Amino acid sequence: MKRRIYGTTLDFGNKDMAHLLKQSLKEKSKLIKKIRDFFYDRSVTEVTTPALTSCPITDVNIDSISVRVNEGIDNVSTLYLHTSPEIEMKRLLAKGSGDIFQICQVYRDNEHGKRNFNEFSMLEYYRLDFDVHQLMNEVAELIEELGLSKQVVKFSYNDVFARYAGIDILRTDFKTLKSFAKENGLSNGFEWIEDLQMFLFVHFVEPKLKQYPICFIYDYPAQQAALAQVEGWVAHRFEMYLDGVEVANGYQELQKSEDYRERFQIELEKRQALGKLVSVIDEQFISDLSSPLPFCSGVAIGIDRLLESFT
Amino acid sequence: MANYSTSQFKNGLKLMLDGNPCSIVNNEIVKPGKGQAFNRVKFKDLITGKTLEKTFKSSESLEGADVMELDMQYLYSDGEAWHFMDPDSYEQYALDETAMAGAINYLVEQDNCVVTLWNNNPISVTPPNHVVLEVVDTDPGLKGDTAGTGGKPATMNTGVVVQVPLFISIGEKVKVDTRTNEYAGRS
Repeated sequence: MKRRIYGTTLDFGNKDMAHLLKQSLKEKSKLIKKIRDFFYDRSVTEVTTPALTSCPITDVNIDSISVRVNEGIDNVSTLYLHTSPEIEMKRLLAKGSGDIFQICQVYRDNEHGKRNFNEFSMLEYYRLDFDVHQLMNEVAELIEELGLSKQVVKFSYNDVFARYAGIDILRTDFKTLKSFAKENGLSNGFEWIEDLQMFLFVHFVEPKLKQYPICFIYDYPAQQAALAQVEGWVAHRFEMYLDGVEVANGYQELQKSEDYRERFQIELEKRQALGKLVSVIDEQFISDLSSPLPFCSGVAIGIDRLLESFT
Repeated sequence: MANYSTSQFKNGLKLMLDGNPCSIVNNEIVKPGKGQAFNRVKFKDLITGKTLEKTFKSSESLEGADVMELDMQYLYSDGEAWHFMDPDSYEQYALDETAMAGAINYLVEQDNCVVTLWNNNPISVTPPNHVVLEVVDTDPGLKGDTAGTGGKPATMNTGVVVQVPLFISIGEKVKVDTRTNEYAGRS
């Protein structure tokens, strides 16, 4: 199993590790303190939410890890480790918590790739009355505060596709996009347009983002909205890439429970079509949103990947 | 040949791509936060020598390419073909000019080269990293210059032109790095 702490891969068989470990832990803890200070200075409240949840995540491409728990004698139940603290933090937001942040370990099944792990650290935070652009600006300020003073570039999803793939991704329908993939010698066997969009992004765009130390991509296609607000062709969503590595994912959040129900439903249907574990909608969450979420934007930042770019 | 799925991809694996045998140079698994996992792969086309990048869905598969790399001795050229011999089987292979490509510049009889066979047909050859060539033409150097501060072009017996130090003269044998076409010392 791959083990690491805040982006440092642990190898206790390595003799040089001992002194490196202490130094590296110190550096990392300083950065974590800076992150905390950043939010405390802005009166964002630090919270801790349960990592054990009763419903697995509905996301099509994120899988929860299930655990067996004895909730008393002869009372065995299956619970799920959170894949991000989003749902639990949104419960707090709906109940009037105000601005909140959290740094925690999260767990995901079926992760692969050299930058993906089954357990990693996440910083997740929500800002009331922030639209997605204000949040992007604040994330850029956080990065600068941590000591990464490099030029920040921002592209809309459509612009970056036009620049590196020569297509108008927002207005290209599924059939035309499939032909485009085929013309470029790529597979086009996808069930849904958003998967093909992501595939083409990984092929044409992502390798080009390596040239930018700090790069924000915003205005994602509506089909990739996840839990972000949608306006016309675009979802108010952004991602931040550091040296071409995806580090943050932010949304201008949906507010009403019925919107959440609709999005969850779509995701669950896709999971079903893919033969993946299908859960039920977290009705407790839906009812916790009987008073809607305040207008807010939130972002999840991979701490390990973030701290890696400081070393 | 067997098919290989993306989960079996690794560096050096030889696969068929658009009708040509290719070798995987780099295989990166990318899983976007909200997306499925893809393999972003860099290939070297073993026929053209060009590098290409392609991305695959996980679970896609490609046909393996029957490619072998064998150490062979360069025997001679008859002007149309270049003849090599497998020292184990004594089998001889003839390579045409296309397959020879840039290797022609560094061929010395009796040298051991790596010949790549696809479906048992030679498609390319890699000369040794260092070969000893003879200078057949170069301007006279400055007398007493042994520091090798400057350089001058010199034509080798194979026809290739290499930058050599000023003190090198016609008839001398020099060592050349075939990967960079650089002078690597007197022989």
